[in-house]
Amino acid sequence: VTGPRFRRLKMGAGHRLDSKASGVMVLGIGHGNKLLTDLHNCHLSKVYTVGGLFGKATDDFSDTGKLVEKTTFDHITREKLERILAVIQGSNHKALLMHSNIDMKTQEAYEMAVKGLIRPMGKSPPIITVIRCLQFALPEFQLEIHCLHETQQYLRKIVHEIGLELKSSAVCTQVRRIRDGVFTLDDALLRTHWNLQSIQNAIWNCQLKVQTEIEKTLG
Amino acid sequence: RQLREADEAAPVFQYAGRAARRKDRVFVWGFCHSGALGIPSFVRPDAGWKKPRRVQPTPYRLETEEKISSAACGYGFTLLSSTTTDITKVWGTGLNKDSQLGFQRTMGDRNRGYEYVLEPSPIALPLAKPQQTRVLQVSCGRAHSLILTDSEGVFSMGNNSYGQCGRKVIEDETYSESHVIHQLKEFDSRVVQVVCGQDHSLFRTKKGAVYACGWGADGQTGLGHYNITSVPTKLQGDIAGVNIVQVTSYGDCCLAVSDEGDLFGWGNSEYLQLASVTESTQVNIPRHLPFKIGKIKEAACGGTGNMVLTEEGNVFVWGYGILGKGPNLIETAVPEMIPPSLFGRSDFNPDIRVARIRCGLSQFAALTNRGELFVWGKNLRGCLGIGRMEDQYFPWRVTVPGEVVDVACGVDHMVSLVKSFT
Repeated sequence: VTGPRFRRLKMGAGHRLDSKASGVMVLGIGHGNKLLTDLHNCHLSKVYTVGGLFGKATDDFSDTGKLVEKTTFDHITREKLERILAVIQGSNHKALLMHSNIDMKTQEAYEMAVKGLIRPMGKSPPIITVIRCLQFALPEFQLEIHCLHETQQYLRKIVHEIGLELKSSAVCTQVRRIRDGVFTLDDALLRTHWNLQSIQNAIWNCQLKVQTEIEKTLG
Repeated sequence: RQLREADEAAPVFQYAGRAARRKDRVFVWGFCHSGALGIPSFVRPDAGWKKPRRVQPTPYRLETEEKISSAACGYGFTLLSSTTTDITKVWGTGLNKDSQLGFQRTMGDRNRGYEYVLEPSPIALPLAKPQQTRVLQVSCGRAHSLILTDSEGVFSMGNNSYGQCGRKVIEDETYSESHVIHQLKEFDSRVVQVVCGQDHSLFRTKKGAVYACGWGADGQTGLGHYNITSVPTKLQGDIAGVNIVQVTSYGDCCLAVSDEGDLFGWGNSEYLQLASVTESTQVNIPRHLPFKIGKIKEAACGGTGNMVLTEEGNVFVWGYGILGKGPNLIETAVPEMIPPSLFGRSDFNPDIRVARIRCGLSQFAALTNRGELFVWGKNLRGCLGIGRMEDQYFPWRVTVPGEVVDVACGVDHMVSLVKSFT
């Protein structure tokens, strides 16, 4: 978008998406930058679909890296994968409660834990809140991961570790963010729609959602 | 293209074959200075740099020779048993001052026995057919233990000053270094479950009857009086004629579940365990507890608090102590449900259900159908296994590298039987 009228626009970007990943990325324009910082402080979770391939291990955990090792994978079943995913979810749930910096001995901590509202509100290492298997067809599989404070490389590392846990190896073929806080794939604009009218429509549609979310979390 | 060729030419490693089976493991944690965890290097370090460890706050793997099918934790000692037909079927470790682990011959002097056993050591049972009988279950109380076999009745060892071993009380008997292992066979049908309370024993037979012997001053023998019983006697009261499918006890209160999902209780009620039916603090005859919480599948008794599991998979607690609903709930006479979201149930996982419950003296443990172990209660000497030494007021996950199949809770330590993932 260029032209003499649009020279003084400030733009900011929400959570970054590195070069090999794809998906929803939030941009703020002008006054929207302040909303961006508020959204960041809400610490809402993001949802990714991660595709993986069993049988190979590479140095940067994705399928374009240098090959380190090849292993067999015919002993892996969907049941074993789901068991590993349940354990990952369990230990991350524990990390969620530990990093939220709430004293576990109080009644408020108990009530928030019951409602599932405990969330780390400050800096914390990457935490996965939900992980489940969408598709499983040896050697490929696809996972849906809801997480907080993560980087895409961390997700690829998780795929590699799942492979190790199943006594085989895995590489990550695809990382796609389908949701970032309140923004889903439906709100996102494709490259063909990068023109003024669509951008204005999109901002208009999302304004209400962003407002309610910020009010709900930051009070 | 060169990369692809290098790819194809790389060798393929195999870590697990197609028929790889899941292995069974045993994890222990808690107070280890009495040797109850079965790892000798915690008490007597075998390398110079190791220091004796008093408490093991997180699960630690215990290597065993055989697959362990049943474990029980007593007050400072542990019994592990396997359903094998080899000669050694039961191992014991920990405190042995009352011969609750049988006679453990010392290496130096053949006539003396060990008072503390640091490693799981075999217990020699006087079986008539040692290579055919299988040990089904073990149970431990304060200073006595019971071993259930499939065809030769129940064996009891340890302290008998209140008749809890099922034999006549002998005045001034010394229990340490004693060889006596008593065999109990006279019941109306085969015994299918044995439970040890603090100083009493309960036996449940196939026909659904319950027998008791031992200390009765709190009415925990349920026989209508407050005296000692040294011979297992059948219980009457509200459970006469009822087919009981599970009995439980750990301190001085007892609970029984019938096949129709009804709950019966007797024994100590100083902590409001039976306050819903009676005001007295000791109940010496089984009473039906009319709780309207649904059909009950399993019950577990702790020292001061009780817990039941209903058919829908909900957990209810009542009694006194840290019951699992935050620091504000200290005592209640009516069962309160623990919200299932604390066990992991959410919109993403709607089918997580609690499958099994167990009680220690002041701790509670729950196993879900996904194989996760949740504990809460007083964290006495690190027995909860959560890595911290503070008390836990609501259910908290224990990180165990495997799917937990069974757990045994004691006063200050716990043992879990775990299946590995792959």
